[in-house]
Amino acid sequence: MRSLFVVFAVFCVVLGDNENAQLLASKTILNQYAVENKDLTVEYQIYNIGGSAAIDTQLVDKSFPESDFEVVHGNLEVTWQRIGPGYNVSHVVILRPKKSGYFNFTSAEISYLPSETAKEPQLGYTSAPGEGGIVSFKDYDRKFSSHVLDWSAFAVMTLPSLGIPFLLWRSSKTKYEGIKAAKKAA
Amino acid sequence: MEKIMRILFLLICTTLWTLSSGDTCVNPVVKSEVYTTTETQMSTQTVVIVDFELTCSNKPQDLHLYAEFNGRTVPASKTTNSNKYQVSFTGEHKKLPGGHYVVRFFDDDLYSELRKAQRSSDDTSSVKTLFNINVSHQGASAGPWVSTEHVAALAAILVWYLAYTTRSQLQS
Repeated sequence: MRSLFVVFAVFCVVLGDNENAQLLASKTILNQYAVENKDLTVEYQIYNIGGSAAIDTQLVDKSFPESDFEVVHGNLEVTWQRIGPGYNVSHVVILRPKKSGYFNFTSAEISYLPSETAKEPQLGYTSAPGEGGIVSFKDYDRKFSSHVLDWSAFAVMTLPSLGIPFLLWRSSKTKYEGIKAAKKAA
Repeated sequence: MEKIMRILFLLICTTLWTLSSGDTCVNPVVKSEVYTTTETQMSTQTVVIVDFELTCSNKPQDLHLYAEFNGRTVPASKTTNSNKYQVSFTGEHKKLPGGHYVVRFFDDDLYSELRKAQRSSDDTSSVKTLFNINVSHQGASAGPWVSTEHVAALAAILVWYLAYTTRSQLQS
């Protein structure tokens, strides 16, 4: 009974003593397939589980080098002036991988002031999606494109083997029917 | 005496009013760029990204912007270098079909009016906005309806069927 009370007291202290802002940040790649030269959707989500607003929250992602990724939409360095307690924000950036192969997706950094009166910013990291493969465009296209041109070429190639017997039959049929009609008329 | 009191009262009121709210934007001019998900394979959720640059004739120092999209309100993020802002929204593909959407933007005062309307369950679409940005979403596609190999297979079966029926007719 007493131990239960102690556990409960500790639990209350841990939960109740959250006067400051506390941010949890995640970073996820929303793609089913990461393909070279196609859009790569990166989503960052920041949750404020603390008791007060987080001021000047800065999200900086330096893990995508210019040589390997091109930023198509969105920004990799942004600031939110205020994230209220219990609120969450999401941030999405669209990148385009310039090379295929394995890439280790690492964390982005966040910094924020835990309260209006705080002087020192609190630093943290987002979660990291881990290592992923970027499929080359050739392989992706071979598997997923609609291949209309290939099928049309196939149709054109089957035309002789179907067309020639058909035309032969057609010509002999019309000739035969012509003879038959002439015989009947005579 | 009464006149001095009145002037003092007005002075205090205006000071309190300017201190209490963030800056507002006069004559907002917006240059925006919108991105929405086009292929479901490139994103398991439909995302809407609105990048915009805002210029106000009064050049406010401390402007807080909030964006509302499909019932969800978020604070706008500012890029570290310039007066460019970004807001992003995500949602399931089914819940964000293709069509026209509007993202509404509020400053501090208008945002508190929006919150008031939300709390008293009033119609939030009647709250005045600072400016709106239109989003035209073409819909996230999962590929063509009928894949080409199915079309090719159907065409082959059709040709075979025609040949077979003709042959049966001739042989009968």
